Amino acid sequence: MSPPNSDPSDSIDPATNPAIDPSTDHAMDPAARARANARRADGSVGPLIEISVPAEGELVEPLYELFVRHGAGAAIETRLRDDVSGAPDAPETWVRTWIAADDADARTAIETGLWHLGRILPLPEATVRELAEANWAEAWKAHWTAQPVGPFLITPTWLDPESTDPDRLPLRLDPGTAFGTGQHPTTRLCLEAVAEAVAEAPNARVLDVGTGSGILAIGARLLGAREVLGVDIDPRAAETAAANAAANGVPFPTRAGSLDVVETEPPFDIVLANLLAPIVIELAPGMAARTRTGGLLIASGVLDTQVDEVTAALRTAGFGEAEVRSDGDWVAILTRKEPPGA
Amino acid sequence: MAQKVMTIIKVQIPAGGATPGPPLGPALGQHGVNIMQFCKEYNGRTSSQVGDIVPVEITVYQDRSFSFITKTPPAAALLLKAAGIPKGAANPLTDRAGKVTKSQVREIAEKKMVDLNAFDVDQAMKMIEGTARSMGIRVEKK
Repeated sequence: MSPPNSDPSDSIDPATNPAIDPSTDHAMDPAARARANARRADGSVGPLIEISVPAEGELVEPLYELFVRHGAGAAIETRLRDDVSGAPDAPETWVRTWIAADDADARTAIETGLWHLGRILPLPEATVRELAEANWAEAWKAHWTAQPVGPFLITPTWLDPESTDPDRLPLRLDPGTAFGTGQHPTTRLCLEAVAEAVAEAPNARVLDVGTGSGILAIGARLLGAREVLGVDIDPRAAETAAANAAANGVPFPTRAGSLDVVETEPPFDIVLANLLAPIVIELAPGMAARTRTGGLLIASGVLDTQVDEVTAALRTAGFGEAEVRSDGDWVAILTRKEPPGA
Repeated sequence: MAQKVMTIIKVQIPAGGATPGPPLGPALGQHGVNIMQFCKEYNGRTSSQVGDIVPVEITVYQDRSFSFITKTPPAAALLLKAAGIPKGAANPLTDRAGKVTKSQVREIAEKKMVDLNAFDVDQAMKMIEGTARSMGIRVEKK
C-alpha cells in the first residue's frame, strides 16, 4: 500500500496520529461498524471492502488493533487446510477487516495506520478486495442439506423436492440471514414440542415470538394450527418468514416488532419463544398477557445453567409448573398459564 | 472420527452482541459457516457477561460445522471498565488517563487467571499492572 497523502510526515508521534494511538480500548469503531452494517432499501448490506494482511508473530496484534480501531471489527484467521482439496496446507494467518465500500474515512485511517506500521516492522502487502453480501451471507447454503426434525424433513428451497422422505412432512426453507434452519438444538426442541402440542390441539391459535426464518410457525401451521402469527424485531426476518410460509403453501401474517405489535390480539393457545434467556425473562409478563389461561408457552434459547432463573421469571409472570426438555446443554421449557390468583 | 480442522478464526465481540454483519458475517460466511447459528450459540453462552468484550476462537471443520471457545475479556478492556474511562492515554509516558485500585487489579487478575501465563495471582497482577501502565492508567497502592 502506498504512503497515504493525508499524512506526509514520517512522524510516528501518536499525539498527532490517531491511527497509532497506543491505547488499546478494543472497542470496534462504532461509526465504521454502523456504516458497514447499514442496510440498503432492499434490506441487503451494501458491498464491503475487505482488507487483509498476511501476518505472523508480533505483527498480528498491532494489525488487529489497527483494524479493530478503524474498521467494522476485525478477525484473525489461520487457515490450516486448503479450502478446495481439503489437503493439509502450511498454516497461513491473515488479519482481516471490513469496511463499507464507500467509507473513505475508514479506508484512509487504515491505510495511514498500515503505512506507519510498515515503518516499524516489515509489512507484507495488503490485499484489498470488494466483497458482495452474496459472497459471504449465502456461502453456507452450499453445505446445508435436507434434515429430519421431528415429523418434518427440513429441506432448503433450492434443493429438488424429490429428495423428500415420504414418511415426513416436507418443510421448505430459505432462512436468508434469519435464525432457524433446524440444525440448532433449540430449533429441534421447539419444533418437536410444537408438533406434539398442535397434534393435541389441532385448532390452536399460535403466536411465534422472534419467528426468524418462520420455521416453528410454519411447522405449527403445516400440522393444522388454525391460525398462526409470527413477529420479529428484525423486519428482514419478518419478511423472510412470510416468504417461507408462502413457499410451504401455508401463508400467514408476520409483523415486524416485539409483543407491542400483538397487543390488541386476543390471547393465543400456544406461544412459541425461541429467544435467549435474558429476553425470555424480559418478555415473560408480556407473553403471559398474550397466552390464554391454560395455554402453552414453549420457551427456548435457554442453557441448562439458566433454567432456574428463567422458570422463576415465568412463574412470577403467571405460568405454572415447567417441563424442561434438553438437547446437549440447551433446553426448551414447556409451561401452561395458570388461572389468575392460582 | 475426529473432524478435520480447516480454519481457526479469532474475533472479539461484545458479549450477547453477535450479529450477522461485519466482522462475523464475512469472517465466518466465507468459510461456509451458518452465521446465525453461531450468533445464537455465542449470544446464549455470553448472555451473563453483557457489557464485556469477549474474545472467541472459532474452529471451522471440513463439513462447515464449528466449535468455539470463549476467552476472558482483554485486560485492557477490563481496566478501562474498572477505571470508568472510554480509552487509554494517547501517550502513557506523560499522560494519565485514569486510575484503578489494587483490589480492582486483583479482581481482574483473578478473572483472567485461566488465560494468563502466570503461576499465582500476584504474578498475574503484575501483568495486569503492566498493561495498565501502558495505557496511562495509574494503579493506586491500596
